[in-house]
Amino acid sequence: MYRTILRAIQSCGAENYLIRKTQTESAELYFIRKELDMRRMKDITVYEVTVYRDSEVEGKKMRGFADAFIYPQMDEETVNKAITDAYYAATFAANPFFELPAGKKEEPVTMPGRLAGMSVTEAAEAFAEALFSVDNHPRAWINTAEFFVNRITTSIWNSAGIEVSYTRCEANGEFIVQTGEPQDVEQYQDFAYNDLDTESLKTQAREALETVVARAQATTAPAKGTYDVILSGKELRQLLSFYTERSNAAYIYPGYSNYRKGMKVQGEAVRGEKLNLTLKATVPYAYEGIPLSDRELIRDGELLDIYGNVRFSYYLGIKPTGNYEGMQVKNGTASMAQLKAKPYLHVVSFSGFDMDVFSGHFGGEIRLAYLFDGEKVTPVTGGSVNGSLLELQDNMIFSKETYKDSRYEGPLAVKFTGVPVAGV
Amino acid sequence: MQVNSSKILEEKRPLMKKLLAGLLETYTYASILAVDAEGKSYAVSRAGINIAKSDVWSECGYVIKVYDGESYGEYAFNHLEEDQIDGIVTRIKEQLMPWKEALAAGLCTKQYPRMDEEEASFEKSTECGRMPGQMGDGEVIEKLKAVRDKALTQREDLIDCRTACSYQVAHKIFLSPKKELAQNVMWTTGVLVAMAAKGEEIKTSFASCGGLCGLETLDEMEGLIPGVMDSIGYLLVSEPMVPGEYDCICTPEVTGMIVHEAFGHGVEMDMFVKKRALAEKYVGEYVASPLVTMHDGAAVAIDQSATFFFDDEGTPAQDTIVIDHGVLKGGICDAQAGMALHCAPTGNGRRQSTDHKAYTRMTNTYFEGGNDKLEDMIASIENGVMLCEATSGMEDPKNWGIQCMVNYAREIKNGKFTGRVFSPIVLTGYVPDLLKSISMMSETPKLSGAGMCGKGHKEWVKVSDGGPYIKARIRLG
Repeated sequence: MYRTILRAIQSCGAENYLIRKTQTESAELYFIRKELDMRRMKDITVYEVTVYRDSEVEGKKMRGFADAFIYPQMDEETVNKAITDAYYAATFAANPFFELPAGKKEEPVTMPGRLAGMSVTEAAEAFAEALFSVDNHPRAWINTAEFFVNRITTSIWNSAGIEVSYTRCEANGEFIVQTGEPQDVEQYQDFAYNDLDTESLKTQAREALETVVARAQATTAPAKGTYDVILSGKELRQLLSFYTERSNAAYIYPGYSNYRKGMKVQGEAVRGEKLNLTLKATVPYAYEGIPLSDRELIRDGELLDIYGNVRFSYYLGIKPTGNYEGMQVKNGTASMAQLKAKPYLHVVSFSGFDMDVFSGHFGGEIRLAYLFDGEKVTPVTGGSVNGSLLELQDNMIFSKETYKDSRYEGPLAVKFTGVPVAGV
Repeated sequence: MQVNSSKILEEKRPLMKKLLAGLLETYTYASILAVDAEGKSYAVSRAGINIAKSDVWSECGYVIKVYDGESYGEYAFNHLEEDQIDGIVTRIKEQLMPWKEALAAGLCTKQYPRMDEEEASFEKSTECGRMPGQMGDGEVIEKLKAVRDKALTQREDLIDCRTACSYQVAHKIFLSPKKELAQNVMWTTGVLVAMAAKGEEIKTSFASCGGLCGLETLDEMEGLIPGVMDSIGYLLVSEPMVPGEYDCICTPEVTGMIVHEAFGHGVEMDMFVKKRALAEKYVGEYVASPLVTMHDGAAVAIDQSATFFFDDEGTPAQDTIVIDHGVLKGGICDAQAGMALHCAPTGNGRRQSTDHKAYTRMTNTYFEGGNDKLEDMIASIENGVMLCEATSGMEDPKNWGIQCMVNYAREIKNGKFTGRVFSPIVLTGYVPDLLKSISMMSETPKLSGAGMCGKGHKEWVKVSDGGPYIKARIRLG
């Protein structure tokens, strides 16, 4: 098919192109309690072809682009039509010119890890066995679980010589824990690993089973008012995406972000802790085939760099770095015990945590939080947090303890002062 | 004009039949769903002009479902040729279905009966005004540019206006021992987003048009401008919400989000099978005000973006009355959940794509209209707000908690808007409390379907939702 695509590109007259081939082999298990409800396998190959068309508008060099998905099922005539249509469409998507990244043929990369050495079915079985091995809590149980193990080979070619390929294996999924007493409640959990990290899954499941028991004790929402709010775990990744998104050339070029190199992103007068954030390469190559490497983004609250894809980086006159999925954040100075020394509302589970990168507002409905009033800790449920990171970012206190998942490594928790909470 | 059938699928239909026959030599039930879908998006903004195929709405693939006498398995792939049929059958017979034997001790397969189905054979297509071939990429971009340019002239404080259009033309063929179905469906949506700065905050407002139609919906986009500009004006003078419980008027989009997120997900009956939905215990009981009648179905609102003729398990589309004058009548159901619960599927078995599992999913979900005039509803509010622009929501079928986010709320005192605006707003509370508090409903329901719906945090499908303006008591933060 690759040859057919190249012939189609040449035949329509496109001189510049990007081809991405994604081959996915998957094994999936779906359980209701301890019964297998469905097993699935899949073998899918997709080519995404982007063709670029150069033109001149009022003396200014322009570059339009459009894409086509090519499937193995297509015959040569269909492939030709899809790519010719894309090249025609590119006429009408004329944007300011940008250069494609140059490169050369590189050896294929297989990302290391124990998943690479086993079949997708074996890996799915191992994760399922691990999860259900801890399903023995006296008061809580695993209600449902879904396991997805993928072996994905991504190959990238472009007209400037890039020819790279990498294979990654990933296991992800979700499970629901439930308890029946004193009330029937559940907690959602998701997981994602790039290694056969079954021990981490067991730990997560054990903690989740304890957490859902705690949630069953929670019957009321906190009283409405303002609280010192602690957020923890995966919510930090989403919260701190505010900074990674606003540092991206795709936000800066159109004026959606006012970030610039050297800017103090938390403001000039930081009362709390200053942010230290590094972009982490979770795959060897970015979307357009640029090699990815870890990149220090924010040091002591100062933006060191702007990053982004080829097009928007070119527009801003910076070296294209590619986009990143992972982040590493330096831990704070306070232990969890210190964060909890004074009254707080620690939200351990939201219905759905929302971080609006444009407005800076974050929040969501509280599924489970622990309220410390200075004397005792009470589990609460209901009500909502509605904070503004722009107003609160000068006084963030990060924990010494660490949380880690496939896209985040950094403080387990952050504490904000004076966050509005809707309650009873 | 009618949406045409797919050349690829028609060419592959004989091979699909041969493959199905091969599977039925071993298994008492097997089905094949084939999908050829083209999804395309156009956008114009300060970031530039973008024309792109959508990876969520585009695919060309197959999924086979097989019953081995006690349980089901699925195999998804996207290449079918004559010489591959034996290999596919072998992969299913030797790897997929025996895989259950490799499960760890203590785990077993859930027992299901064979799929019970009735004879059916049809091919149906939706109608649309202008197909992609009749409106070229250049004309689409010019229309989007014109609307954007006009919008940008409306206010001097706009950072940007983004106009966008997306469509999907989806062809599906479903084959099983008793069924041979085909459908060709097109939906299109247009979206206008405006952005303005309020200090370091960027406030955004949006509106959409479209549904089960072609690119002719682009002609409606200019009509979205006044509403979006009004909203930007409100957002720029907005202040943080004062948390509390308020009498609220919900616009039809906010009503739709409450219908969909707060209640709709809770009546997806695969959640009944998992004992994850409180609604199961309330069938036959009042869960809402007697004013409330709620529908879901791909056959209910023929001009909406989740309308189709059969679902991804070959079940014909239906109109399901979920709540009848306040009483919960039942849920919506996919075929496998139906087997587990011993009830008939309702045409709600939907997949993100052939390489995703089918779950019970909503389609077009809405409250019927009531008898009140909007002006009377506003006049009835002593101290409350009108909730505008639904932005996102998250379901909680197990405990009927509400999380819905709306962009802003306009204060109403003594029956009149005061000019005070709050933003953003989080709705919380207990679903039946909210639904039972509904005391007024305007006459005409309005549905919109620009967005997508996830099951939990994944499995995206196109849906629409809506209803009339409603008056209810809601906790806001």
